[in-house]
Amino acid sequence: MKVLIILPPFLPVDDIRKIIRQILPDGEILTSTDFTEHNAEVLVATTFTRIDRNLISRLPGLKMIQISSTGYDNVDQDAVKSRKIMLCNIPAANKESVAEHVIAMALAHLKNLIHFHNEILKGNWPVLTNSMDLAGKTFGIIGMGAIGRKLAERLLYFGTNTIYYDPVRLQEEDEEFLGLKFYALEELLAKSDIISLHVPLTPETRNFIAGKQFNIMKDGSIFINTSRGEVVDEASMIKAIQSKGIRAGIDVYTQEPPDFSSDLFRLDNVIFSPHIAGVTVESQQRFITETVSNVMKYVQGLQPLYRVL
Amino acid sequence: MKGYELFARTLKDLRLGPVFGNPGSTEIPMLREIKDYVLTLHDSISVGMADGLAQYTGTPSVVNLHTLPGVANSMAFIHTARLNRSPVVITSGQQDNRHVYYDPLLSHDLLSLVGDAVKYRYEARNAEDIERSLKRAAMKSLEPPMGPVFVSFPMDVMEEESDYLGLAWKYPNTALVDMNEVEYVAKCIEEAASPAIISGSEIDAYGSMEDAVNFAEKVGCPVYAEPLSSRAGFRSDNHRFAGDILPATTAMNMLLMKNDLILNFGGDFTIYPYLQSPLLPGKKVITISLSPSFRYGEFITGHPGLFMRELTKIVKPKGDFQRPEDLSTGSAAARERRTMGVNFVLQKVRKKFHDYVIVDEAISSSVAVRKNLGYRDRSYFTAKSGQLGWATPAAAGISMKNPRVLEIIGDGSLMYTVQALWTISRYNLPVKVLVLDNQGYSILKSFSTSFYPGVEKAPFLSFKTDIVKISEAFGVETREGDESLDELDWLAEGETARVLVVHVDRSIPKLFF
Ligand SMILES: Cc1ncc(C[n+]2csc(CCOP(=O)(O)OP(=O)(O)O)c2C)c(N)n1
Repeated sequence: MKVLIILPPFLPVDDIRKIIRQILPDGEILTSTDFTEHNAEVLVATTFTRIDRNLISRLPGLKMIQISSTGYDNVDQDAVKSRKIMLCNIPAANKESVAEHVIAMALAHLKNLIHFHNEILKGNWPVLTNSMDLAGKTFGIIGMGAIGRKLAERLLYFGTNTIYYDPVRLQEEDEEFLGLKFYALEELLAKSDIISLHVPLTPETRNFIAGKQFNIMKDGSIFINTSRGEVVDEASMIKAIQSKGIRAGIDVYTQEPPDFSSDLFRLDNVIFSPHIAGVTVESQQRFITETVSNVMKYVQGLQPLYRVL
Repeated sequence: MKGYELFARTLKDLRLGPVFGNPGSTEIPMLREIKDYVLTLHDSISVGMADGLAQYTGTPSVVNLHTLPGVANSMAFIHTARLNRSPVVITSGQQDNRHVYYDPLLSHDLLSLVGDAVKYRYEARNAEDIERSLKRAAMKSLEPPMGPVFVSFPMDVMEEESDYLGLAWKYPNTALVDMNEVEYVAKCIEEAASPAIISGSEIDAYGSMEDAVNFAEKVGCPVYAEPLSSRAGFRSDNHRFAGDILPATTAMNMLLMKNDLILNFGGDFTIYPYLQSPLLPGKKVITISLSPSFRYGEFITGHPGLFMRELTKIVKPKGDFQRPEDLSTGSAAARERRTMGVNFVLQKVRKKFHDYVIVDEAISSSVAVRKNLGYRDRSYFTAKSGQLGWATPAAAGISMKNPRVLEIIGDGSLMYTVQALWTISRYNLPVKVLVLDNQGYSILKSFSTSFYPGVEKAPFLSFKTDIVKISEAFGVETREGDESLDELDWLAEGETARVLVVHVDRSIPKLFF
């Protein structure tokens, strides 16, 4: 069965080719889509390749597309559906990485790292600090999916009091195991010193955290968003940061890359990262392994995992 | 002498004993002179005990089974002995020749039944056959590949008269090394860019660990243990030891990606489950073994340990592999303390039982058992067949020669031959049993999650058993461990059998590619 793998040219393609020869001898690696026609039955791609109607039409035998990441916005889903092609992604091979990123942002705020760093670069030697410990803080997790759980597990060792909200409450023994207490959303917002958001973007969760929710939060609390930009009303967030001294850790934006003229980037108690919380050397390795193993399942005649279409 | 006297006399001459078995009317005639008999409450358990004992001593052991039902009940264990390369001499009774024509109760063609599970099968025709067929079977059992042999004895033959001839017997010579091949392999090593060594179960079985270590020291290449090996492949505390090879082709290829020459001493490539990747494509693979399978690559017939000894003399060093220090075990154990994860349990076990023989049927925790407890000479045994229920009988058999035996077994596996605990108690065998109770078939859940998602939730993969009650009822002191695992001290105490049940993490591990 012919497997076509399209990779962005900035990856170490020669090394990957060597690996593929050992484990999937029918696999062919290309770095561009400028072929006229290809007889592949399986297409493996990253999010860097647009998989549109035109590309699909040049793959007349295509039966399965495997995207090697969680997101698959690069795929024209209507085109895939009309050809009855199977589409799979690799969900959550990055959950540990995101959980760590959240903790890094929380710690960077609590320990004033950015401020100290900048002061020292300016030639100053600050002696006073309002740095705080993570231990003993109330950490509110909104959304207890795979990432929320990993975060809760890791926080156990930091000595936080961890609370959560999720539309579906965990089993009592799971709550006990992770040392979690359930609260309704408003209560969680009011109680937490640190809030981290882990909800998927759906019509219901668009602007899920807006003015009303920011108003409930404690002054000076830390708000971290590594889920999706659209889940938060950005204007309300900016206001809350200005008026309530909320400190934010932002990895995701309503528009990416964002409009850098926005007031968001004039605020000094925000730490930014470029939608990269889930991207680490290790998580990329996990994505590759899971991609290869899922494609091999399909090639062997088994149902692949993580089918989205 | 009567046939039954010849039977006992021959076993004595061959120094075969005790006889492990479960008797029936058909065997009563042949057992009249047998004094050293170990009763097992299921036929198969006697084969498992004999298998453990034979592997541990490297010499044959003997079993007596009750004709059709006893042999049929034991078939999985006979196959396991075959794959374990365990020299077990299996005997059984057969119906009286004078009425076999009528297909009497219990009669059957036993030689067809044992089929290819044994390497020699014979049914005695007369009293003269008793001495010669048993001696031939015993010698044959030790011929590489070592394995089970079978002789059946019709009831009437036991009443016939014949002389005991004292026929000469000698176990087969295995010290075979072809010096031309040694030179050839030395040259292959010299010409290769990056050789890797695999050390297999024959190394431990033929007592060649020292030769393997000396060779590895000199040549300097990484040494891996054979995939799914049934016993120690190498000394895992040696700095050249690079770990186990996993049985999946894809994982194997990834691990050995950079090696162009694979030298396999006394092992084979056991593969499971099926994965698309071909086996070690584009590499030169040479296996040196007393029992070549001719499955893949080049084969050289010979004693792998002695071959290495000769090779060490002429081989040129080809690197200086040092296993990177593994700092993960301690922290993994600490992290898993609150979940009663197996790494936590096994690090505690290691402290108390580091010099014990380990008999492993921990199934989903087997990789962790190998990693945490390591390999030493004659220190690790597991069933090569994948059959469950082997460990308790095998541990019992080994404990007859070495009182320091720790069996580590899953709650599912324990139940296949749980009445072996009765034999352990009856004969005061000092086996220590650690049951890792995860309330079900964890490895099958893991397999389902990887290949057939959803099935892991099936009710037929989860269950509870009251192991404490069951085990105590068979007469073995049993306790449950709490979070501290202080009960491991109790488990180790004294030379009496004890069972400790530890309720371990029930979350589904990821074990398959
Ligand atoms: C005689 C026999 N029957 C069934 C099986 C299939 N099988 C393989 S692993 C397994 C589950 C083992 O369970 P357990 O010993 O509790 O170990 P766990 O997987 O939970 O670690 C089963 C039933 C087998 N290998 N042998």
